[in-house]
Amino acid sequence: MTDDLQVFWATYNTLVYTVGVHAMLALSIYLTLSCGLLSLGNAAFMGIGAYTAALATLRLGLPFGEALALGGLLPGLVALVIGIPTLRLSGVYLAMATLGFGEVVRVVFLNLEITGGSMGLNGIPMKTQLWHIVAILVVLVYGFVRLRRSKIGRAFEAIKEDETAAKAMGINTTSYKLLAFVLGAIIAGVAGGLNAHFTFFVSPREYGFDPAVDILTGAIFGGTGSFVGPMVGSAILAILPELLRFLKAFRLAVNGLILILVVIYLPNGIWDRKLFARLRRKGSA
Amino acid sequence: MKKVIIGALCGLVAAFAVATTAPAAEIKLGVAAALTGPVAKYGVPIRNGFTLASEEVNAKGGVNGNKLVLVIEDEQAKKEEAINVFKKLIFQDKVFAIFGPTLSNSAFAADPIANQAKVVVFATSNTVNGITDMGPWVFRNSIMEADVLPVTVREAVKKFGIKKVAVLYGNDDAFTKGGYDVFKVVLETQKIPVTNTETFAKGDVDFRAQLTKIKAQNPDAIVCSALAEEAANIILQARNLGITTPFVGGNGFNSAKLFEIAKAAADNTIIGGPWAAESVSARNKAFVAAYTKKYGAEPDQFAAQAYDALYIVAEALKAVKLSGNLEKDRQSLRDALPSVKIEGATGPFTFRKAPAKAGVETGYDAQQDAHIFIAKGGKFVLMK
Repeated sequence: MTDDLQVFWATYNTLVYTVGVHAMLALSIYLTLSCGLLSLGNAAFMGIGAYTAALATLRLGLPFGEALALGGLLPGLVALVIGIPTLRLSGVYLAMATLGFGEVVRVVFLNLEITGGSMGLNGIPMKTQLWHIVAILVVLVYGFVRLRRSKIGRAFEAIKEDETAAKAMGINTTSYKLLAFVLGAIIAGVAGGLNAHFTFFVSPREYGFDPAVDILTGAIFGGTGSFVGPMVGSAILAILPELLRFLKAFRLAVNGLILILVVIYLPNGIWDRKLFARLRRKGSA
Repeated sequence: MKKVIIGALCGLVAAFAVATTAPAAEIKLGVAAALTGPVAKYGVPIRNGFTLASEEVNAKGGVNGNKLVLVIEDEQAKKEEAINVFKKLIFQDKVFAIFGPTLSNSAFAADPIANQAKVVVFATSNTVNGITDMGPWVFRNSIMEADVLPVTVREAVKKFGIKKVAVLYGNDDAFTKGGYDVFKVVLETQKIPVTNTETFAKGDVDFRAQLTKIKAQNPDAIVCSALAEEAANIILQARNLGITTPFVGGNGFNSAKLFEIAKAAADNTIIGGPWAAESVSARNKAFVAAYTKKYGAEPDQFAAQAYDALYIVAEALKAVKLSGNLEKDRQSLRDALPSVKIEGATGPFTFRKAPAKAGVETGYDAQQDAHIFIAKGGKFVLMK
């Protein structure tokens, strides 16, 4: 059995790491969603984090911890700078602005000498270990649990439900929205730094439009009612293609079918507390 | 939730382990190719080439009596998928060697896995520099652009008596930018003066500004690093502006799309490539006939290179005495590969050790002559 376990781990450790990184990205987009912001800039922040951390290891030879910290810091700063003007927008306008920001970031990666242009950066050493990801996730989850019942958490919820009413209650909506945006960017940046250090390679096309939408899909798939939903959703979306590998050519079709079925029959996502409660009642009745 | 999923995966692993327990006389080879998504147009011919070659080898009794079994997996040209596929092939399917992945980008992510696990990884479609710098277990039979373009330029100069050229390239794409970098060095070493260098971006449709500037300098030829669609429009607009000079291009020109758009305007365009459909060698004729019969479509260079790659590995395996110890056998295959010489569909083939890089042992590139083509009447024909 230990042999089987070893083979399983050797085969699927990257997948497990990917699930962890996707969970972080899900949390990062959940943070902005929980504040009523539809931001699609998370893939770009992930990219900034990935490039920063990778360059810190490759060019500066910094230890992994410091590289990761830089990978979180720089996206946070960028988010601060672009957040102040763009967060005046709301709804689809914010989505479009952040999407545009993502494109700008991609083009910058494409044209800078230091980011390797269209060839990207290769030869990034394998530094990420399971405990790094687990530890960061544990801290994040603890933070989110505490956030819920805190002043900040309640302010986020108030802004999400009705921004004008929240303002009338004396909540400084601008700074709370900015806080959510910046924290989301930091989490995405760290996730990017971790990802770069177990995939050996980063290139501009990994942080464009498609991954931005993938991150949002994971969150919606899981359900945005609580922070658990996006984590579960993104984890399933990461695992599903591997789980369906035995279907060969039909793999992506079945993958898509499952997505459609969930969206139609579970509009609140997979992790829907109300649905669980209803099922429980039915079970006991 | 996670426990359930891991449990399910464990079950799946166990099921596969039972299903794939093979008798000793099977040699498993992995193929990681992009079979779905936008890159599938390359991945599918690659898979077909491998399948055809392995069936031929097995029909003739296999290698030393052992049957070749291909384990084909889709890597979707995504880096995480490529890594997952490589790990599955190495640790779970326990293959002898892996062919692939389709794109160089995926190779930069996945090849280190194979190199670390001491498994041969054999690329048939990665043409950028640096692939074989990743380690001694990395091989390829795809000729680098750096090997093709010098020949292309030399032959073009000979044919048209070119004295000076203008250069036009796409600066936002790994392939076209890489092609330009090579062209630049080639033109310097062959001492051909460049009148002016112009750029464009992927998706551009109007190149008249750049072409007008080029026309003013009156070069003898235009050296162009572009993908087929842009290349076709560039040629068409150049002819409309009254530029009659020949074009010299890279492998990106090598597509039916070029003639769909540019038609006869593309005549006198010179390119180089690893494989010629019309090559009259018996080996190539047999390949084209067998491929067309099996798949009902004409093969392309990717199919030809995959087909040859399998024969190269089969040839190496002939020299390997299977010990039953997977690690030892993988090592013997690795040791047998560099000295393989075959006559393939793409022509005579040998390996060449990649130039040494500081502190890292390198792998093996292809040592093979490129074929030079010239466009005539809506298709590329071998230049004589």
